[in-house]
Amino acid sequence: MNGIIGRTLTVEDEREIPGDVHITSGRLTRRSFISRLGAAGAAAAATPVLAASQHAQSTAPPTSTEPIEGALHLQLKINGEIFPVAIDPRTTLLDCLRETVKLTGTKKGCDHGQCGACTVHVNGRRINSCLSLAAMHEDDAITTIEGLGSPTNLHPVQAAFVQHDGYQCGYCTSGQIMSATALLKEPCGPSDADVKELMSGNICRCGAYPNIVSAIQSVRQRGA
Amino acid sequence: MKIFHFKKVVSLAEAIQAGSRSSTAQRGAQVRYIAGGTTLLDLMKLDVEQPDVVVDINRLDLNDVEIMPNGGLRIGALVRNSDLAHHPAVQERYPVLSQALLSGASAQLRNKATTGGNLLQRTRCI
Repeated sequence: MNGIIGRTLTVEDEREIPGDVHITSGRLTRRSFISRLGAAGAAAAATPVLAASQHAQSTAPPTSTEPIEGALHLQLKINGEIFPVAIDPRTTLLDCLRETVKLTGTKKGCDHGQCGACTVHVNGRRINSCLSLAAMHEDDAITTIEGLGSPTNLHPVQAAFVQHDGYQCGYCTSGQIMSATALLKEPCGPSDADVKELMSGNICRCGAYPNIVSAIQSVRQRGA
Repeated sequence: MKIFHFKKVVSLAEAIQAGSRSSTAQRGAQVRYIAGGTTLLDLMKLDVEQPDVVVDINRLDLNDVEIMPNGGLRIGALVRNSDLAHHPAVQERYPVLSQALLSGASAQLRNKATTGGNLLQRTRCI
């Protein structure tokens, strides 16, 4: 990554960044690296506590194979694929996507529908997945950022975000892109102000707004 | 969020029957209908609302905007804010309603929020 700091990322650069996808064979991804770092830190911090307790239990997080009391068994159609899931009725669509189906491209920001990081499409319309129960979407077609494009075949909006540098830290980006792709099909005036208004449900703490707007406008002007 | 029983209904009769098990429809109701969920789930996450049963009414046939003979509009309880705001009859005859809807929340929330939920919303600002 150091080699590309200080200049605008290109589509080619982006394709080299593994991001959240566990596609590598033996290569260290960002997610696996942070997971290992977190586990090591937790073990170090927990050592005195564990030593003091005669009834110390495993600190391993619950796995998806553990039975859930009162679980709902349903099938969700995500990115064209059917996923059978067994979930607690309280599970939001966001948590189901991230924790059960392990599609971690959709991000959790505020968890109260204010930041837009969790934006996904349900039957082609954008919604905040944090304010919806997974159980409400059994008959719906859900699209996440993973279903939009791939590193070798970016959606035009994804390519435009790369070309226009529409992000800095990238945490809000999947939500921004899901919002932007939905916006293309919504009634929206031609001006930058119109785009800003319809993108107001997506917060970017880095303040990449001008570049996000120019990325979206470039796709709209091309009629994609 | 407190645990609840999730029930999906497909008919009005079923929905009414499910709701009748609640002693109140006001604050602290044991049964809550969920449509958009943009307010209810927000409040449930904060334990402000703690229903025992959540009834999903999204499959009910309440999605129509009808022009009535007397010149009025009949708006289904499940009509989403974005659909109502962009409905030709609303834009033409009630432009202020359209503008008001589009001034509220965000595009994502307007795609979920319903007319019924708006009327029954438990507001926190008064």
